[in-house]
Amino acid sequence: MKSRNHPEKDGTVRICTLCAILILSLIGSSVLLNSATRFNAASSQVRSWKESLLAAETGGDIAYAEVRKTVMDPPHAFGGWTNAGSTHLSPVTTFGSDNLTTNTAVDLFYTDPATGNAWYRLRSMGTAPVLGLRRTGMDDRMGPGSRGDSLLRKIDFFSDHFIATYGPNGDGVGKVIVPVPNPQITRRIEQISAPITPFEAAIKAGGTFYGLGSAAYVDSYRSSTGPYDSNVRNNPADPRYIDSQSGTVEIDSAVATIQGTIYGNLYTNGGTVTKKTANVSGVIDNDVPFSLNTLEMPSTATWNYVASPTAVTPNTVINPPIVNGVPQAGAPSSPNYYLITNFVNSGSLTVNPAVINGSPQDTYVTVSVTGDIGASTSSQPSITVPAYVHLKVYFTGNFQTKAENIINTSGYCGNLQFYAISPTDPSVQQTININSGGGSNAGFSALFYAPSANFTINGGPDITGAIVCKNFYANGNVHWHYDRRLDTEGAAVDYRIISYVEDTR
Amino acid sequence: MKLNSSANAHGFTLAEIMIAMAASAVVFGGTMTSTTALQKSFNAIDNYFATHMQQIRIVDYLGRDVKRGLIVTTSVDLQTVTITTPNYIIQAGDPEAIANPSLIGAPRTPTITYTPSGPQVNYGNTTSTIVYSINGLSILRTENGTITTIASSTDQLVPETTDVELANTEYTKTSVTFQPMFTSGGSIAQRSGTTVFSTAYLRNKRRG
Repeated sequence: MKSRNHPEKDGTVRICTLCAILILSLIGSSVLLNSATRFNAASSQVRSWKESLLAAETGGDIAYAEVRKTVMDPPHAFGGWTNAGSTHLSPVTTFGSDNLTTNTAVDLFYTDPATGNAWYRLRSMGTAPVLGLRRTGMDDRMGPGSRGDSLLRKIDFFSDHFIATYGPNGDGVGKVIVPVPNPQITRRIEQISAPITPFEAAIKAGGTFYGLGSAAYVDSYRSSTGPYDSNVRNNPADPRYIDSQSGTVEIDSAVATIQGTIYGNLYTNGGTVTKKTANVSGVIDNDVPFSLNTLEMPSTATWNYVASPTAVTPNTVINPPIVNGVPQAGAPSSPNYYLITNFVNSGSLTVNPAVINGSPQDTYVTVSVTGDIGASTSSQPSITVPAYVHLKVYFTGNFQTKAENIINTSGYCGNLQFYAISPTDPSVQQTININSGGGSNAGFSALFYAPSANFTINGGPDITGAIVCKNFYANGNVHWHYDRRLDTEGAAVDYRIISYVEDTR
Repeated sequence: MKLNSSANAHGFTLAEIMIAMAASAVVFGGTMTSTTALQKSFNAIDNYFATHMQQIRIVDYLGRDVKRGLIVTTSVDLQTVTITTPNYIIQAGDPEAIANPSLIGAPRTPTITYTPSGPQVNYGNTTSTIVYSINGLSILRTENGTITTIASSTDQLVPETTDVELANTEYTKTSVTFQPMFTSGGSIAQRSGTTVFSTAYLRNKRRG
């Protein structure tokens, strides 16, 4: 059957159809416009804003790794960077599926006058492309005087607004319009990398911890403000009280048996210590991991050893070398060096200060001992440090003696420092064993940096100082006093980020 | 030429017209009702996502400032947050700017001091204070007295922030909720369903 045509009716139908299509198109375009705007802001701009910070922080991490190499692997620090004096500029790193880019400038901006440790500033820049439409996600419901998301997320659509407004270094110098190939967001952060000194806690154990005795305690004081006073730690009214609560114990392990009282903080790595299970005056944080690297012997290329002694026998005395009739006191950066190849079990070493015109001088001595200082627990080696002497002892073997044989009468535990060089054979376990002996509470004033050694204290000596070790064990009622002056003692063993600022412009 | 006329082309009867008009009125009414409902629904959804964008903006602002903060304190009602940040940029009137006006706008070189709690990095001798607060239907960010409205909505945006102090730093937990306009009865569940959570750590060691 053939249907009949009615042209006048066809026109009406077409108009109706076009109107319907127009209405639907208007609805669709309105929905699409709003959806695209929201999607543009939520998916592209917010994401890029966050990714640019991730990129900047990635650059900061890369730079931080290089800073750490200045301590752990100096020959390779800042390798492949553009280095000019104490300023280092990284190459641009591109990474991720979104092609994020980052680069960092590192400069040594401060040198600690006491230790010579360097502080680094890490200025990182991270850039993320902004996909989608070249339009802001302006929200007109912000209220009068506000400018929407662009106040927070500054997008460079056609040129880098930061360089154009503030210059490449943000200091107003070199302002120029630099076109960007694609819309992007760049964020800039500045971090400060501070040296970690070896003795920042009373006891720092990279492995397990057991101790001290049930009546033991760890507290602190500051020797630069006066001698230790046992009454301060329980007297908040005392102005020295603030320095008495830093007997901090740090354990990089979940295996931590805490006894006695800690007048400071306690950190473990996954432990279960609580206020109910331990008497700790400060913070207990069971989620504080840290890394303790092995200790290698420092480069001795510049160490000009004094010819003798080369062995420590029962009555060995080190007097300063005399040049042109003048005793040489040395300096912190250039002490008098001695190489001891044999420290006999009954050896006794006394280091005397240089005396000029009848006045003792601050005298700096570094002794490198090859092998043990005390081959067994029955050994009785002794070391004596009088006033004005600053002695560092590096040893490659074990250390075993009675606490009373470590004699430091200089008034500062930092004047007698022991560094246990980690064994090159990982199957060899280094030990440091301090024995009070005979129920004596005679103690010592010294520092031990022995990251690979198991440290054992038998008895209840009175100790002033700090210890860094692997596993720690003490079974007596030790009275342990950390000197807060140690905060800035010793060469850097690592670095940490202690400051973070973002340039929000 | 004579046009052919169709014998079937007759007019409608009154009854047919009445029925047609009644049917048209029903269809038109339905269309108008549907259109209105669709428009309301569209507005509500659009408003929902617009407010959601403001939630993201609030947590982004807070996260940025908390990360670079030195101290964060939250009011008892959890609706006012005060953040102390370093003065990274030299401003007019600062001692450095008075000594050398060309330094205005330049980043500061930090200095180091040793305090009872350890070494401290300082950007100048003073700090900036940033306060997040609620004012009616708006969320305000006030930096050193300069007020910026960072969010404003008839949907009753409510941010709540808590700060938690840790051994060496602290973190803040923020949740932002709002009451969608397209609700029935305004039940609690409808508000809690809009919650956006955020956690931001201070990257600096806490002071004070």
